[in-house]
Amino acid sequence: MKQSGVGLALIISVFIASVLQLVPVSGYLLVLKPNFLLLVVIGWIIFRPSQWGIGFAAFTGLLADLIFRAPIGMHVLLFSAVGAIPLYLSGWLVYFSLIHRCLFVFFLIILAEFMRNILLLMWEIPMDYSYILMTALASAAVWPAIDRLLIRVNRKR
Amino acid sequence: MAAHNYTNWFDPIENFFDNALLPAHWLATVPARFNAWGELILSDRFDLEVENTRLKQESLIHRGQIQRMADLAAENLRLRLLLNATELLMDSVLVTEVIGVSPSRNSHTLFIDRGTEDNVYVGQPILDAEGLMGQVIEVFDEHSVALLITDSTHAIPVQILRNGLRSIAEGTSDYDRLRLRFVSPTADIKEGDQLVSSGLGGRFPVGYPVGSVINIEHNSGASFVEVDITPAAKIDRSKHLLLVFTSKDGGEVGRSQ
Repeated sequence: MKQSGVGLALIISVFIASVLQLVPVSGYLLVLKPNFLLLVVIGWIIFRPSQWGIGFAAFTGLLADLIFRAPIGMHVLLFSAVGAIPLYLSGWLVYFSLIHRCLFVFFLIILAEFMRNILLLMWEIPMDYSYILMTALASAAVWPAIDRLLIRVNRKR
Repeated sequence: MAAHNYTNWFDPIENFFDNALLPAHWLATVPARFNAWGELILSDRFDLEVENTRLKQESLIHRGQIQRMADLAAENLRLRLLLNATELLMDSVLVTEVIGVSPSRNSHTLFIDRGTEDNVYVGQPILDAEGLMGQVIEVFDEHSVALLITDSTHAIPVQILRNGLRSIAEGTSDYDRLRLRFVSPTADIKEGDQLVSSGLGGRFPVGYPVGSVINIEHNSGASFVEVDITPAAKIDRSKHLLLVFTSKDGGEVGRSQ
């Protein structure tokens, strides 16, 4: 796929992730709703580390701050810090099997949620850590779709 | 983050983005709209007729109750005049629809389809059919943002309906739970007690249902008891809400619909 095509695919993927993030849910579905924006960031960093790195993660984090109505900078910091891990490991991650990447995403989301809780504690927002595992499981369950989609997009180069 | 917390430098950016995000909110609610439309299309004519009859009966009952309430309100006003008490505040309401919900588990905010064009103002209380939902925190031309009473940054002065005991109900970031602050271990409060807004602070009108006590936890050695409240309003389910316009002497500020 041409460079402009990849850029367009990235914009579309971030837009779809934003819309999915905004879908209103209630009850237990709240706990099971993955952070689609973070998953898309992780995906692009794994498959295009040379083009989309920490800067892209920070920009998407800013978008997340505005969507979540969170203090500006919180998700910038979170996405950048979490995005640095797949960026560092991307050389190996592309050779991992899908199951291994799912496991990697599972642990990455646990880390991200813990970091988010710590940041929220700065605003004395009480947190319930019990949901973290469910969110990580839901994110890992959604990951194969994102993984396959990004592989297909990047194969067309 | 510190700049965002202590200054309002980012307000223009956030306001611009809130407006820009409206189409995304609309897209995000398409599945729910489609579901509602599908239910309507697939529903049986007989079921609709039964529902219509039931709603008409309910409407009749409510009209009767309103007449009784009007009588009680007039009597209350006469008694207050006899006691030289302050004037009653009369409320009018405006129906609004939820057009978006904050995707964050920790930020309990709603987007509603009324703005400055409908005289909505910051601090305006919002209700659903069951009780108080929250208050408006930002107003735009055609939409507004409301903070729910379950948000951890929100607190509302309440009183127990049974004995008038006053307290403050704080949000807990849980849609099904509020918490009372600074309740003495000797306070007359028990499970099942109904709480209504006390009107202290002047932000919320008096007497709207807030919730009911579901759990009281006495910790030995603690200065206060922990009291859990379940909100009266269907915080995460209500789609149509009421904006309350309060004016002295019952003057019409907003539009009743």
